[in-house]
Amino acid sequence: MNASTSACVSRVCQRVWLALLFGFIAAPMLIIVVFSFDANRFPAIPWGGFSLQWHQAILEDAMVMEAFGNTVLVALSTAVLSTVLGFAAAYIDHRYRFRGKTAFSLLVAIPPAVPATILGMAMLAFLSRVGVFGTVQAIVACHVALATSFSMAIIRLRLGELGHDLEQAAWNLGASPATALMQVVVPFCKRSLIAAFFLSAAVSFDEFMVAWFIGGVHETLPVRILNLLQGQVSPKVNAIGTVVLAISVALVLLAQRFVGVRVGRPATTTGSETP
Amino acid sequence: MDTLHPVATPMAMMAGRPAPGHRNRGPDKLPIALGLPVMAWQIAFFAGPLLFLVVITFWRVRSFRLEPALSLDNWTRVLGSGTFQQAMLHTATIAATATLLALAMALPAAYTIALRLPSKVRDMAIAALVVPVLSSYILRIYAWQIVLSPEGIANSLLGGLGIGPLPLLGGAFSLQIGLLTLTLPIAVLILVFALGGVDKSLIEAAGNLGCRRVRVVWNVLLPAIRPALVLAASSTFLLAFGDYVGPLFMTGSNPPTLSILIVDTVKSGSQWPRASVIGVSMLVLLGLVYGAGQRFTARRFS
Repeated sequence: MNASTSACVSRVCQRVWLALLFGFIAAPMLIIVVFSFDANRFPAIPWGGFSLQWHQAILEDAMVMEAFGNTVLVALSTAVLSTVLGFAAAYIDHRYRFRGKTAFSLLVAIPPAVPATILGMAMLAFLSRVGVFGTVQAIVACHVALATSFSMAIIRLRLGELGHDLEQAAWNLGASPATALMQVVVPFCKRSLIAAFFLSAAVSFDEFMVAWFIGGVHETLPVRILNLLQGQVSPKVNAIGTVVLAISVALVLLAQRFVGVRVGRPATTTGSETP
Repeated sequence: MDTLHPVATPMAMMAGRPAPGHRNRGPDKLPIALGLPVMAWQIAFFAGPLLFLVVITFWRVRSFRLEPALSLDNWTRVLGSGTFQQAMLHTATIAATATLLALAMALPAAYTIALRLPSKVRDMAIAALVVPVLSSYILRIYAWQIVLSPEGIANSLLGGLGIGPLPLLGGAFSLQIGLLTLTLPIAVLILVFALGGVDKSLIEAAGNLGCRRVRVVWNVLLPAIRPALVLAASSTFLLAFGDYVGPLFMTGSNPPTLSILIVDTVKSGSQWPRASVIGVSMLVLLGLVYGAGQRFTARRFS
């Protein structure tokens, strides 16, 4: 085998492996969507024909609709709070040096690294002691503690491109630190703030372990799915799943569009978003 | 937070803050106003609960109520119990297996994505990897259940070929499929970003010196991305080790993992202290794994 054929074989092998890998990653999502339109009660081959009955059934399911309402409320509140807190944390990390700074940054960054089961248990044990659990607000509070890590990471990346000169110029021109923050730093970070909003909404929208522990009778949609799956097989799960997947994918793609992740190049193109 | 002061860059020192035209209004309150809320929030809803978890491992349960105490009883009972020891061993084993599988599968894929694909396709591949990280893991596990169950899709397809039905669901095979569903996209992403950041001139130099591609990968690329390899491995281990849904639906919690043990202990009664012991033990083990990874990264490549 000469060099060019071996390179060719290697090329084909690489592409095949990549296709298999993406097939493995995409297959579960495609299966949920495809079988949500299946007339059969139990998802199986052969396909039972196209039907919208399960999608209609979830519209009439009061528990699912209530869970959906809770999820939207929790995800939106989490997104707003996480974006604000994430920006504050990123800015502090970017601009100040102080004793205990590593501890401060870790406090924000580390929650996603703790297994959700442990986190959920710890939050429930603590919050039930203080008497605030089993409410939608408690879920929001805990989701914010989790999601702020992601928004801080995205915004910190953008702040790294700001440097320190622009702000100093604003101070020299007479702006107070707060004015400089609002008029220079926030506009500079606008796109990453939007990305942080969508990303933390996606984190909350997808989270079930903490919501399961904390929420009590207030179920979010992922918790409803978990409870449905632990009961009898319900063909509604695929229909709910299709809606959930559509929303998750939309949120993540929106976040990506605003953060503009690139490999081997700066995270965003500098200057494109300065006012 | 008492010693906050701005980064002292040469320009700031020349300009002398606060800026001219501003009267000195005392210390800058901005960092306090920005930092305090986020710190308070993370303490109240993250650090506080975790510390409390450690505290209640020493508490007692009397007539279904938690009572403050300073007892090592929970620790000795849990650590001494066969169920816990087996679950610990099982969970660590499946997590280590998932880590090895994920790295072995992710590395060639990441190599192709980062160094062989045109940049447009590469960006699409990255988007396709980020999406599943945040799209309903429970649903994807449920989908594998549909595929692998005795009358499921895989067995229907295999039956068409005259094979089976195979007991695909409920063993190590289905469990690893579940865990890889969770971990593989993240492992590939970490390695893609690392490989994309490797200085291309290193690879070219090795090529010009007559290095074959296998040797370039082994002697240049892998050492260059060692921190990312460790990060990918520890992230995979962490996710697989703490996972609840995968083992629950892929093996029917038989044998139970530590996460399943925690949920069962909490939901079956008021044995919070014992569940906390399991949780804290898990965190200790994860800390050790992370520490070992850091040492491995820091050691010089020989």
